Amino acid sequence: MAGVGVFESYARAKTGPRVDENEWDSRIIPQTARRLKEKYGLKIDKKQIIPTDGQLINNIFRAGMEMLVECGIYCMDTKRVIKFTEEEVWRTIKTAPRRVILGEGRDAVTLKARRFDEKTPPIIQGGPTGAPVAEQDFIAMHEAYAREPIVDTIVDGVLQTINGYDPSPNTPFEIAAVKSEAMMVRLAQARAGRPGMAL
Amino acid sequence: MISADFPGGMRASDSHEVSQLNELKIDVGALSFVAHYVLAGDVIMCEQMPIFGGYAGGLEETTIVDVATHLTAFVMTQAHYHLDGPIHVRWGITTARESLAVAGHCARAIEENTPFLLANQYYTLAGPCTVMCLLETAAQAITDTASGRELLSGVASAKGVATNYTTAMEARMMGEVAHAVAGMETEKVNRILDELVGMYETNYKNFPKGKTFNECYDVVKLLPSPEYVSVYQEAWQILNKLGLKY
Repeated sequence: MAGVGVFESYARAKTGPRVDENEWDSRIIPQTARRLKEKYGLKIDKKQIIPTDGQLINNIFRAGMEMLVECGIYCMDTKRVIKFTEEEVWRTIKTAPRRVILGEGRDAVTLKARRFDEKTPPIIQGGPTGAPVAEQDFIAMHEAYAREPIVDTIVDGVLQTINGYDPSPNTPFEIAAVKSEAMMVRLAQARAGRPGMAL
Repeated sequence: MISADFPGGMRASDSHEVSQLNELKIDVGALSFVAHYVLAGDVIMCEQMPIFGGYAGGLEETTIVDVATHLTAFVMTQAHYHLDGPIHVRWGITTARESLAVAGHCARAIEENTPFLLANQYYTLAGPCTVMCLLETAAQAITDTASGRELLSGVASAKGVATNYTTAMEARMMGEVAHAVAGMETEKVNRILDELVGMYETNYKNFPKGKTFNECYDVVKLLPSPEYVSVYQEAWQILNKLGLKY
């Protein structure tokens, strides 16, 4: 890990500049974004959803980099800003993962870089994507996704109830629901004959 | 979530999610999740859905913030890949023209300047078993594939808020369209997208809610209903006419 990483980020969240959250939301973020838009002369045409102008593409990146380095990340609990230098960001870019294996055995797929004009298609992660699913239908619905040959990995839904109870955040039922979701997706994948498929 | 990591549950090779908050924010709980993922050797997927029309502002400003959050995913949360999802403040979807433009521009900017692995997630306005839902899905799959994203994650149909309003047919559409458009030249992609988005963006105030999984599928045999197969074919006929072949 050559970037800043989570532990150093947390350390900075305890020592960084103190900022009022309302100031962050209503002044720092919009004003910085607007200023960078003007600085780099950014103009997006909604009819050209994918840009072809190389200068626009690179200026968007430079503006985004500057946005992060200038603003940092606001930690809502400590009310402080986690700052990064541009050098730290570039170090992360240079050492970022180029490929990742998702899943196991014959059901594993490799997530690796592809170009925008490349004929290799992206990985297809199918599922309800966090949408609520009735408890009694959870396994069947996810098995239907796992049975789709074009689906490579699963992104699961959330149980609407667990044994009939509301799995509200920060309650014992939330923990039970999260564990059940994982078990039920594993079962759905196995029933579809794809036990090593990633979740 | 950490509690999903156990024998029989999530494995290290599954995508372990951590979410950034809008805009350019995090909380200590999220950092604590990441600490667990890092020390357990898990695959980390960092999610963030910038809001078009939210704190950042308009198209260009939201795109700038989106780029910054991509960088943050790797610098701060040690992500293996980033899961995007620019969302429209009015409609709460990722398939609106503005959402697609933010995603398309951000992905190309990141792809051109970094080796980062990029994903995007899908929230449609219309629900399952409707042509509109499938066309929304197709538009985003075209955008994501033709802007260089490595993984498409979806579909949370009907905005992902109604119980059982998601089915595997929407994921099938996402996948088939991605395979169909991969390698297409950008000028042609943009022409198709402009026309395709124009077909559904006038229906936002009267969008079809669609049908539930139980209404769309034989839930014992796990096969889509004849009605949904017919709707699916109708959507593909439209896409064929626009120039997509699968």
